[in-house]
Amino acid sequence: MILEAVGLAKLGAGLGAGLAAIGAGLGIGRLAQGSVESIARQPEASNDIRGAMILTAAFIEGVALFGEVICLLIVLL
Amino acid sequence: MESIKYLLLSLSFVSIGFSATEKKGFDFGHLLFHHLIDTHDWHITDIPLGNGKKISIAIHLPYIVYDSEHGLRFFFLHGHNHEEKAKEAQKMGYHLDEYGHIRALPNSNKTVIDFSLTKSSLQMILVGLLMLWLFTTIARRYERNPNSPPKGIQSFFEPIILFIKEEIAEPYLGNKANAFLPYLLTLGFFIWFANLLGLTPFNFNITGSISVTAALAVLTFILTQWNGSKDYWHHIFWFPGVPLLVKFIMIPVEILGVFTKPFALAVRLFANITAGHCMVLGLVGLIFVMYLGKGTENFAGAVAIMPLSILFTLVIYSIEIIVAAVQAYIFALLTAVFIGMAMEEHHH
Repeated sequence: MILEAVGLAKLGAGLGAGLAAIGAGLGIGRLAQGSVESIARQPEASNDIRGAMILTAAFIEGVALFGEVICLLIVLL
Repeated sequence: MESIKYLLLSLSFVSIGFSATEKKGFDFGHLLFHHLIDTHDWHITDIPLGNGKKISIAIHLPYIVYDSEHGLRFFFLHGHNHEEKAKEAQKMGYHLDEYGHIRALPNSNKTVIDFSLTKSSLQMILVGLLMLWLFTTIARRYERNPNSPPKGIQSFFEPIILFIKEEIAEPYLGNKANAFLPYLLTLGFFIWFANLLGLTPFNFNITGSISVTAALAVLTFILTQWNGSKDYWHHIFWFPGVPLLVKFIMIPVEILGVFTKPFALAVRLFANITAGHCMVLGLVGLIFVMYLGKGTENFAGAVAIMPLSILFTLVIYSIEIIVAAVQAYIFALLTAVFIGMAMEEHHH
């Protein structure tokens, strides 16, 4: 019974890690789409856009990493 | 005589000792975990001798322990494995927990605080000394001949210093950029060097430890609150321009926001570096899992997985070198952004 619970917890952690990665991937994908399009439209603003892109990517990644850390804690603890 | 012997023994912090190799299959999770946590000795390598014995080479780091009975104590534990060390610690009146940290014995009521120089703190000091030497050299050379073009190591670091000044500090901190520039430079270079050091063999990944990144984030947190303008606190406790009811809802949200920012900062750096290390170790570990995983030696399987594993490790490693710089950049950038946002004066 306990073994099963540990197995289920690991299954959940694995699924959670995958879902967090999907979310972050979608988010950063949309972000990259938007910024590449705007750089193509207005190449002279590319420096500002790149800065904003990296900043936002860091925020999206941060949220995803919260999820990943929780999954890691499930497996380790 | 006895005291001289004891002194010599405690100075022999490099240990080369024989011990039996454990033959009980291959526990990859255990290995991974021990690569990622802090230790009290700098384990260089094990050389197997073939007859079930091995030579392990390690540098023992000092234990510095405060306890309410003896005061501050400074000692080494010389055992080659956990059991031997635990016995030595028992003799000194301490309990050695499973991670090798000193704790009070279960049935004693004295206070024991372990501030030992561990592998990660030693390497942090090394990074600090490296930075001190490097940047005082650069600064002195610049001071001596400010109008000549940069030379040697100065020409490598000057563009990076200027990058932090012009791309991170100035856009977000405006005319107060120079006041925060030393902190941002220290932060950026410390994290960058620590990340790179963690990628070299024998070294500990300092920034892959949550306490280090949390300490850095706490510094940013304190700086942000300290420099918060009147408008910053006004926005937290009485959000302007929204209906009265929403103002009350916004208070806990804003207070939470104050704490989640540095928390995200700490977790981002920690998780990025740890994830990279897990990936490298996991890919290299595939070979050993194939070789010893099932208790029997599967040589053909290990050779078959080797090219794939090495190729993937190479790719991840290259990404990790970029990540090391990007994470340092993002940490410094977000610090500048948070401080800049807190200092901003709004005009309603």
